Amino acid sequence: MLELYHSEPNVYFLKPLIALEEAQAPFTSRYFDPGSLEQYSPRFPQNTESMLHLEREGPVLVDGGTILSGSFFILEYIAEANPGAHLPLADPLGRYRARAWGQFNALQLAPGVCALGCAKYLAPALKALDQEQLRARIERLEPKERRASWAAVIDGSYDEQTLAKIRERLGMPVKRIESALAAGRWLAGDTYSIADIDAFALLSPLADLAPELVGERATPRITEFLRAVRARPAVEKALAHARTPNPQQAFVPGAEPSRWG
Amino acid sequence: MLTLYHWEPNANSGKPMLALAEKGVAYQSHYLDLLNFDQHRPEYLRVNPDGTIPALVHDDRILTESTPMMEYIDEAFDGPPLRPADPKARWRMRWWMRFFDAYFAPSLSMIGWSVFVGPAVRHRDRRELEAAIERIPLESRRIAWRKAMFNEFSEGELAESRRRAAFGTDALEKHLTEHKWIAGDSFSLGDINGFNLGYALPISQPDRCNDQKTPHIMEWLRSIYERPATKATWAKGRTQMVERVKLLERKHAANRS
Repeated sequence: MLELYHSEPNVYFLKPLIALEEAQAPFTSRYFDPGSLEQYSPRFPQNTESMLHLEREGPVLVDGGTILSGSFFILEYIAEANPGAHLPLADPLGRYRARAWGQFNALQLAPGVCALGCAKYLAPALKALDQEQLRARIERLEPKERRASWAAVIDGSYDEQTLAKIRERLGMPVKRIESALAAGRWLAGDTYSIADIDAFALLSPLADLAPELVGERATPRITEFLRAVRARPAVEKALAHARTPNPQQAFVPGAEPSRWG
Repeated sequence: MLTLYHWEPNANSGKPMLALAEKGVAYQSHYLDLLNFDQHRPEYLRVNPDGTIPALVHDDRILTESTPMMEYIDEAFDGPPLRPADPKARWRMRWWMRFFDAYFAPSLSMIGWSVFVGPAVRHRDRRELEAAIERIPLESRRIAWRKAMFNEFSEGELAESRRRAAFGTDALEKHLTEHKWIAGDSFSLGDINGFNLGYALPISQPDRCNDQKTPHIMEWLRSIYERPATKATWAKGRTQMVERVKLLERKHAANRS
């Protein structure tokens, strides 16, 4: 039996929930609250990959004794382990495009989405906690990169100037996806695929976080794409895993932007 | 018709070169000199408007992302499979390729660009270099080239890259202690990716990557180096940088005495 460790159905955590529902693969939902940092406790499934994965905080899929992390690679795993779900595309070029989008979105889109979401929703939520206690807990986190991603939310790293630059940088990936959707309604080929699940989970929050970038006016094709994915029954089921009234406001530190500047 | 646009068998260019060699697939090779900015010239921008290397052109299909490109090569052509059949091992291969591509490689390449790429072009006329930067399509690549050309990497950035290079080396050694190959039991694209990133580690990180501290990495690099496809691919190199691979030649017993 598959076990999915996930939080609110948003961004990284939403992806495997949709894919499992699309594949109609039975799984046990293991809900956790990343803000409580329970994912660092020894009781949480851990291996080298889950500790080092570049999303910092994300879903973990446990299949038998294997602990899988990295949300796009979990999508590929679900798709390949459930061939009847037709989530992988039928031809090598379609699969190349899906993987290239997965990589592009992970590196160009996800860091900015997570940063804007953390600045808007996670930072105020963490401010409400006992700061001394919170700092002491964050200081103990390993590895350094994950510790730093939590520290950045509370230490004022997301100032206005930084956020403005993040918004500006998000323009390129958003425009590229908008243009790609001119060629067809799905990202990687003629049919719906894991590339669309991936892009849906990462783009959806931008309508709220950066309406000047994603919305009816700025990106009519993305808006239509988001509507089409949202209408799928599997997406409805995935979103039903929410335990808070506003899952689209649930953010955790995500992948860091490129260190090259 | 299959054409690969590439630079030296090294890093991203070396990934599809080695994958094609392992598959035994013949291709038309189109060499671009990265240090001469061939990748930003109009004739290449018609192939890849992003101006990044490598690019694979298969009939009317153009592929420009090296890691997904390797999976395409494995799927689209006959030859020995370069991905494990087991989905879990495939997941492991992909997870590590991303760790290489997005964590380990950018840190090693920042060091490489500051000590090698930058100095290799820095002596040229400033206006010529500024004009070269202007022709780069992607903002992120313009920033990278500017930093390399004018030595604008901060000490803090370089120190963090050195820390990550050491951390990545240790993580890789641990992984190879538990698994013979990156994906597990069999040679795969993960090893091709890792070799392109790591073949020069014993030279660039001599205190960190050596027979005493990282015996598993050394054995892994040497076994990949000994594969005929690797030998054939590195023989296509045109510059000194690929000579570093020869350090992986095993010292025979006769030579030791």
